[in-house]
Amino acid sequence: MLKNSFLLCTGECYLHVPVQQPIFICKKRNRSIKSAAAAAAAVAYNATSSSAAAAASNLEISSASSPSSFPLFQTPSSLQPTPASELEPADPDFYKIGYVRSVRAYGIEFREGPDGFGVYASKDVEPLRRARVIMEIPLELMLTISQKTPWMFFPDIIPVGHPIFDIINSTNPEIDWDLRLACLLLYAFDCKDNFWTLYGDFLPSADECTSLLLATEEDLLELQDHNLASTMREHRQRALEFWEKNWHSAVPLKIKRLARDPERFIWAVSIAQSRCINMQTRIGALVQDLNMLVPYADMLNHSFQPNCFFHWRFKDRMLEVMINAGQRIRRGDEMTVNYMSGWKNNLFMQRYGFSSPVNPWDVIQFSGGARIHLDSFLSVFNISGLPEEYYHNSRLSNNGYNFVDGAVLAAARTLPTWSDGDVPPIPSIERKAAKELQEECQLMLAEYPTTAKEDQQILDSMPEARRTLEAAIKYRLHRKLLIEKVIQALDVYQEQILF
Amino acid sequence: MWFSEIHPTRSSSDSTNCWSGFKAELWLLQSLDNGISRRIVSVDGSVAKRRHLQGSKTSFARAFVTSIWQLKVGLHHSSGNVRLLPCIKCENSNKEGSSFEQVSVEPPPYHSYLDSTSGQLEPASGARASIPGQEFWPEGTASRVRAARAPEPMGASTTSPSYGQNPGSRRKKYKASVASSETSETSGVPDIPDDVLEEPKELLSEYVVYQSEPEEENLSDYEMDKKIGRPHPFIDPKAKKPVEEPLTSEELWWNWRKPEKEQWSRWQRRRPDVETVFLKAMAETGQIKLYGDHPTLTETSLYRARRHIYKEERLKAEQERLEKIGPLAYYSEWVKAWKRDTSREAVQKHFEETGEDENTQLIEMFTHQTDQEYRIMMGTDVRIRRDPLAMRMREDQIKEIWGGDPVYPTINYIQDPDAVIDFRGPDFHEPTPDMLAYLKEHGKIISREELEMKLAKEKTEELEMTDMDEAMAQAVDIGENDDEGEESDDGEEEKISRNWSILKSNPELRKSKGKPKNNNLSLEEAIDDSENLTDFLMDFEEDE
Repeated sequence: MLKNSFLLCTGECYLHVPVQQPIFICKKRNRSIKSAAAAAAAVAYNATSSSAAAAASNLEISSASSPSSFPLFQTPSSLQPTPASELEPADPDFYKIGYVRSVRAYGIEFREGPDGFGVYASKDVEPLRRARVIMEIPLELMLTISQKTPWMFFPDIIPVGHPIFDIINSTNPEIDWDLRLACLLLYAFDCKDNFWTLYGDFLPSADECTSLLLATEEDLLELQDHNLASTMREHRQRALEFWEKNWHSAVPLKIKRLARDPERFIWAVSIAQSRCINMQTRIGALVQDLNMLVPYADMLNHSFQPNCFFHWRFKDRMLEVMINAGQRIRRGDEMTVNYMSGWKNNLFMQRYGFSSPVNPWDVIQFSGGARIHLDSFLSVFNISGLPEEYYHNSRLSNNGYNFVDGAVLAAARTLPTWSDGDVPPIPSIERKAAKELQEECQLMLAEYPTTAKEDQQILDSMPEARRTLEAAIKYRLHRKLLIEKVIQALDVYQEQILF
Repeated sequence: MWFSEIHPTRSSSDSTNCWSGFKAELWLLQSLDNGISRRIVSVDGSVAKRRHLQGSKTSFARAFVTSIWQLKVGLHHSSGNVRLLPCIKCENSNKEGSSFEQVSVEPPPYHSYLDSTSGQLEPASGARASIPGQEFWPEGTASRVRAARAPEPMGASTTSPSYGQNPGSRRKKYKASVASSETSETSGVPDIPDDVLEEPKELLSEYVVYQSEPEEENLSDYEMDKKIGRPHPFIDPKAKKPVEEPLTSEELWWNWRKPEKEQWSRWQRRRPDVETVFLKAMAETGQIKLYGDHPTLTETSLYRARRHIYKEERLKAEQERLEKIGPLAYYSEWVKAWKRDTSREAVQKHFEETGEDENTQLIEMFTHQTDQEYRIMMGTDVRIRRDPLAMRMREDQIKEIWGGDPVYPTINYIQDPDAVIDFRGPDFHEPTPDMLAYLKEHGKIISREELEMKLAKEKTEELEMTDMDEAMAQAVDIGENDDEGEESDDGEEEKISRNWSILKSNPELRKSKGKPKNNNLSLEEAIDDSENLTDFLMDFEEDE
């Protein structure tokens, strides 16, 4: 639902107001300075200098084409530097190992930034009527387990009678999908000639993962969120107990060598959690819900306004990554998918190890009785759609206005509101209510031991910190940024409330 | 004199057929116009059509002549005209022109055509159809073409895989070298222009290894001979080993080794031959007893021998009876209507009276035989079951022997019922199993000494168990027991020490047990046999 709304939103943005830039959230380890700089550069590039850049490129092309008018002989040398081109291209073998196994990538490149891998467009894509394929990954390279209890593996790499199957079979079918997938991943690492033995070299190692399973106790304390911290402790404990139960000293060597120490197993669990794709696939006549680890497709980062999506092509059993229909892609844009819609930040943090200040589904618990008028709030920020699928209707706002982001959508959802048919709001009461809400937000901010600025300073002061610590600090920072954004939105609301 | 080409026009189609028909013939025609004799030479011919021609020769000849008249015989002295119609070349008889021309293959009438699919002029030979546009491709073709056109990744990696041991080892970790990396080397995925068609193929791809140089092969003389095809021995002389001396039959006999028992094919199992099946069926119906569940070889051969002997005996007895009582008496069994005396004396007497000998009388008797009786005599009455056992056999057993459906009989692949069975299986060297040893081994039979030893042991046990005091106490109770039968029954039941299970299953034995008639028992045996001392004493009294 939300995905569709955002698709529509971005589509409209691109079709009518091409200035609007979707906000990319890297899956791993946003270093705020660089990402902010990159975003600024991107915005600047898109907003101000796009026409100039286009003119410049036209000039260069015309000058280059003068010696030979034949278009094939023109060297595509004069490529504009994009924010993505600062990132380092991935190892050539990264794509090569998949290419020989009939993975195909069209018009994209894999680049490695400070936050890990990302997928970037290597050319402009005009909006198309139909979704355009950018990646094809055959089933044979994936690791999949059926979500429900006859455990089936596609491809079936586990031989009959192998003890790893008993281990997988001993898990709780309801909750332990990540443990199963981790077992499968570790087994694939041990299989000779398995693709994942090659691909595993490009997965983030344990010190690069931001998953809180790998976090230390002080990292969890830095979260400033008791519930999340205790949840992560439970998860870690669950994984540890599972490892101790199944990797005790008496197990056969072919099990023992899969994960000799609990760190490796927990790493595998974190990989399984943060890279699992749940899809319904169809293989022949068999329709199945699968937990899949898909190489290459798992390098796509998350965005709340994605420009790509996954599609299962059952005919030749391939997972396709496709560009949304009608989406304009510029060279250097990051290709993103929506991991989960409707999740709050703490769930993202728990499973994927990242959070976002612009999560439109984040929730702030207000306990006071103050309410604001819903329709007025929505009309101030030009938010359209039903509550489940709010989107910013950019056609209604003037061009330079980019205050509204996911946080405002979250505010529209989470602020206590009232709506009573045609009854108009009384401005004074509305302002009063908005002020009360702002005060409540301020109280929430005051409860935190640190402020957003302090968090930012902490982040800047230690560029070489552990990834998990960084992620934890960012999580609380994003929470505070959201609350501050809500306060600002209420300010704007008080100013622009319609009489 | 001159060289002519006759062009049959389309006006007379039958003459055209004739022209193509009798090419092999050499015809001398007197042409009526111009008085010129002409010889028509045709180059190739067909025999099949000549036969047709000979059938209708006269009519043809007439038609030919008339058609010749009707034809416009064009005389062309110039060669080199391009003919659109099939032409037959006629040559002058003396061949003085020496410009003999073969019939040539015509070029196609057009070399390009307007293709309705593409709307363009397409060549008529070669790959004629143009590939239609992508929207007309069948499902999935576009993606396959796209996948095939995707360029190979470029660049070479500097790192090496760790094969799952060290995940993340090939990441670049975004080193500080980013600033200094002005590497023009792009990432693995090159940018694809949409219209890229050709990519330079690497000589060494993942799946195809092109052999760039011929392999240097090192062949021995023998292999070279073999490869080239020069005469060579069948076996490589280097690898050849001298044939070992075959063993004599004596040695073979003594060195014979029993093959392994394991059955690796279902054809190795013991096939159900007629005797085996019959024996099993007989055992099932209780006519005989088999030692095991399958008849052994011994039992089978015994059965076969017995069957043969019994049959011989029966036949012999019949024959003897026939000879003894004479044929008339013998066969009168099947002639109910024959009321006369059939003894030898009566036959002799009848012979003396009427002069009809025995055969005549027999024939006379058989004239009184009914159909039914005849059928019974010949054994063809279907209402009489000839072999009750075979009739009673189960379906699968019948099929084992005769195979399949009696109405639509199938071939019994398992066993031909008429086959002569070779009973020498792989075990035929083995001695016949000794029943006595087997029974002894399994404890079914014991020797007399052992039996006596056992009995003696049991006796001593009994003696040990019988307490004299208890026996005396019970002896005192005799009178009471007589009065109260029920109590004594209970007491008997308690005292049963042996064979209690038999008594439990058929309690009527218990009543008769009271009076065993054993006259010549010793004391010990009587004690042993009786239920208790009371019985013993009562028996003792009765015997006396």
